[in-house]
Amino acid sequence: MKKSRRVLSIGLIALGLTAILLVALFTHGKAYQAIVSSPYAGVVSIMPSSEIPPPQQQPCLSCHITGEMTNLWVPLARWVIFGTFGLFFVFGLVRSAMVWRQRKPWKPLTARVAKWVDDRYQISDPLSKILKKPVPKFARYWWYCLGGITAFLFVVQGITGIMLAFYYKPTAAEAYASIQFIETEVRFGSAIRMIHHWSANGMIVMCIAHMLRVFIMGAYKPPRELNWVSGVLLLILTLAFGFTGYLLPWDQRAFWATTVGTQIAGAVPAVGDLALIFLRVGWNVSEATLGRFYGLHIIVIPLATLAFMLAHFLMVRRLGVKKPL
Amino acid sequence: MTTPNPEHEKDSVPFYPDHVKTEFYVAMGIVVLVIIVGILGLMFPVGLQTPADPLDTPLHVKPEWYFLFLYQILKVIPPFVLGIEGTGFGVTVVLFALVIATLWPFLDRKEDANKRTKWIRLIVVILGVIIVIALTIWGEVS
Repeated sequence: MKKSRRVLSIGLIALGLTAILLVALFTHGKAYQAIVSSPYAGVVSIMPSSEIPPPQQQPCLSCHITGEMTNLWVPLARWVIFGTFGLFFVFGLVRSAMVWRQRKPWKPLTARVAKWVDDRYQISDPLSKILKKPVPKFARYWWYCLGGITAFLFVVQGITGIMLAFYYKPTAAEAYASIQFIETEVRFGSAIRMIHHWSANGMIVMCIAHMLRVFIMGAYKPPRELNWVSGVLLLILTLAFGFTGYLLPWDQRAFWATTVGTQIAGAVPAVGDLALIFLRVGWNVSEATLGRFYGLHIIVIPLATLAFMLAHFLMVRRLGVKKPL
Repeated sequence: MTTPNPEHEKDSVPFYPDHVKTEFYVAMGIVVLVIIVGILGLMFPVGLQTPADPLDTPLHVKPEWYFLFLYQILKVIPPFVLGIEGTGFGVTVVLFALVIATLWPFLDRKEDANKRTKWIRLIVVILGVIIVIALTIWGEVS
């Protein structure tokens, strides 16, 4: 009985899919022609097919970035709104069917998902232990949030940095023009660059403020020495972020700031020349320097920062916040 | 709601949800600031100077503001200090200070007995910050 029902349902689904496929195949070209010749031509993009001639319109591959094609958002909003309604409708159908079949009250979806995950990972006990760990009440004073703000700004920098990296080109010929493109053409590009610029400065300020707070309160004393050491390394990494990122716009200010900055490194006795050549990839700031700073800025320093942040947070977690005098 | 552990009821709150909620409010405050900065960026972009030209040295070459105090030290240090080249001496002193700062917890191991040591450290920090800010401003205007 049950098996036959399953066969029937699978057959019905297969039949329905075949019907949809056939209808799609037969109407595809016609629908395409209708859309291309309709007033909505250019609004809808349809899968180009080999037997169908290209539409009579200027292709604009970057319109969704530069925001020239305003009609893109209308169908998107339509999909989101009606799609949400549709999902609710399907959810209601499934819920009614299940309640009717099982003769049991409905269990919330979140509880189901949580139970499903917990059955597989067995994580709820250790997780609740981690989450319920008591935090001392004095940790609510504002000066304890400076380190957290630094970490949050690092996340902001990561997100905006990835957005900028989509459009940035790390070559001497194109770097300046690509920043101009971000500032003038890309939608919200200047906002993203502004946020990246000022969050970088804010991150350095917050990092130093957090460090001074820890120093003044004596929170570096045993057993928290390694926390302090990793914190100083994180400050150095943050400064390295700023130093390498400053060159990337490749304008006069960036170029000469990097020139004098690497000069400072070059003034170190004994290893100065080595440091200078490592940073500049040669005796002068050039395109090779730009490539090196770009690689350091988006790969090496972020990974090192993440590693040290993990160590830093784990130690804070294990040792707790130091009780002030 | 979770029932707090009676042992810690007096002086602590559970990490979740109480402490996480506080952190969330702080994060939302930062998000608001970031959005304001973004809106300002739409109106007044960061902008660019003229493209980099290795042959054209500007009149006032400056590093980023957080290296400005260091650069200013190197600019005003006499050419020879104690028979060593001045800039090398200045950079060495700053690097040495950095190493000391990194290893400071291994040097100052004794637990604070009273609040006096805290005040001493506060004064040291304030003096240091004033010196660095003064050098930075000097470097900015010179």
